[in-house]
Amino acid sequence: MTLYAGSIAEERRAASLPKRTGLKRIFDRNIHAYLFLLPWLIGFFGLTLGPALVSLYLSFTNYDLLQSPDWVGAANYVRIATSDPKFAAAMQVTFTYVLLSVPLKLAFALLVALAFNRGIKGLTLYRAIFYLPSLLGSSVAIAVLWRQLFASDGLINMLLWRAFGYEGPSWISNPDYSIYTLVILSVWQFGSPMIIFLAGLRQIPQDMYEAAEIDGAGKLRQFLRITLPLLTPVIFFNAVIQTIDAFKAFTPAFIISEGTGGPINSTLFYTLYLYQEAFGFFRMGYASALAWILVIIISLFTAFSFLSAKYWVHYDD
Amino acid sequence: MTDAVTASRPGQMPQRSPLKSVLLHAALIAASFAMLYPILWMLSGSLRPQDELFGSTSLIPSSLDLGGYIRGWTGLQVSFGRFFWNSFVISVLATVGNVMGCSLAAFAFARLRFGGRNFWFALMLGTLMLPYHVVLIPQYILFLELGWVNTPLPLIVPKYLATDAFFIFLMVQFFRGIPRELDEAAVMDGCSPFRIYWKIMLPLSLPVLATAAIFSFIWTWDDFFGPLIYLNDINTYTVQLGLRSFVDSTGSSDWTALFAMSNLSLVPVFLFFLFFQRLLIEGIATTGMKR
Repeated sequence: MTLYAGSIAEERRAASLPKRTGLKRIFDRNIHAYLFLLPWLIGFFGLTLGPALVSLYLSFTNYDLLQSPDWVGAANYVRIATSDPKFAAAMQVTFTYVLLSVPLKLAFALLVALAFNRGIKGLTLYRAIFYLPSLLGSSVAIAVLWRQLFASDGLINMLLWRAFGYEGPSWISNPDYSIYTLVILSVWQFGSPMIIFLAGLRQIPQDMYEAAEIDGAGKLRQFLRITLPLLTPVIFFNAVIQTIDAFKAFTPAFIISEGTGGPINSTLFYTLYLYQEAFGFFRMGYASALAWILVIIISLFTAFSFLSAKYWVHYDD
Repeated sequence: MTDAVTASRPGQMPQRSPLKSVLLHAALIAASFAMLYPILWMLSGSLRPQDELFGSTSLIPSSLDLGGYIRGWTGLQVSFGRFFWNSFVISVLATVGNVMGCSLAAFAFARLRFGGRNFWFALMLGTLMLPYHVVLIPQYILFLELGWVNTPLPLIVPKYLATDAFFIFLMVQFFRGIPRELDEAAVMDGCSPFRIYWKIMLPLSLPVLATAAIFSFIWTWDDFFGPLIYLNDINTYTVQLGLRSFVDSTGSSDWTALFAMSNLSLVPVFLFFLFFQRLLIEGIATTGMKR
């Protein structure tokens, strides 16, 4: 009869009351909790589970919002896998983005966290400055700024001209370079993984370093043998979070390419392609199939990460 | 400076020689400047006369000119004042919804004993991994049927239904840290679960509620994807949509005005950064939030 774990008062009161029949008792025991959960339950069924199932169904249909969905079996998936050059382009762009931006971002985050870790005057101020881009970076304003930085007459080219007399191209509108401007934008936001690294570094017991010092281990050896292994859970966590996030990136590519993913699909992020199919062409069935493929990619990636964690993430103590 | 995040290690300080220390500070100052340079350049760019922006890498305008702000504010057929108001209303209502909806669910998960708790909790964690894109299209169809497209409702109502499971998770972690003796005593005094939630849990959880509220506000304010899909009428635009339209309409002709409006759109987030920096940083450090 306890509503609260280990609640003596409830049990005493229950003992003095007449025994209730089964159903009524179950109802009384659970009603409060389910009242608290009610908003979430409505949201879960109405806005998450229900829609997820509907989109799974829609992915096997053609649907344009006007006529009712037309069952086509696996045709959408077959077309995506075999004869959709834009899907292939989107995959290539997205994987390039993920594989470049995540490691670089984490490397910067770790490097700066290590510089801070050994205690430094003005830490709070430095940390705030390095964190600021993370906080502002996903806004449209910063994407607008980026468009201007890497334009043919933008700040970067002005600096290159000043420093080296080099006349840079328009980085944004050149398909060879445009994706890298987005990678730089992502790496610039290394502040939040840096903060997580800092918190992780503080968990490493000081006496380990002291013991290593006594044993004559140098700084590099201490880093490779103590810091790095003990930090692997944090590295793992940051890598998973940042990768999932990178797969879902949308706003900067949308703003920089004015919604096209161009030039020549060079900034066609996966989510941007999905958006175009759904809300540009109203191919809701096809876009649903794209969404489910994104789920599969992210799940495979996550599963792979967790499997690989056994071999490189240090978990004991 | 006693919290885990900011505490420095006094024991290690003397290990660094003065020369090394100077070099490290020089490197960090240079890096800080490089990090902030684009933002400062945008700020100074917005204050320049319109014809001066290009060809200047300096951060000091030759003369101060607020023309960009004036041209930008009324640069579209609807003034930016409207967009700011829309963004503000949506962000405030969404934040209230997130804090309410998520704290109710979190209280049940953290404190109440009921059949199926582990099952629901696992499902809730599962939704954390689910990309938003999977529910996007059916949700759009639902809100279209309800006649909610071109209203802010699709951006607000789901928050009251605790769809941002991340915040539930955040609050559950915090609630579990509050001593159980407190609510057990209240139960003995005959408090109902709702009173315990309202009178004990919420007042004791202000740090986590504030963290959730601040992130909720910033994320809603910055959100571009949601408004892009649900708001097509320029009168309903948020600041982010207004900026995007402004990019499309001015192209690269009036960067001063575009920078001016971009800067204004960052002001609320920047204010949170100034006043609640520690809360933001601790929130990230303890939960591993991505921003």
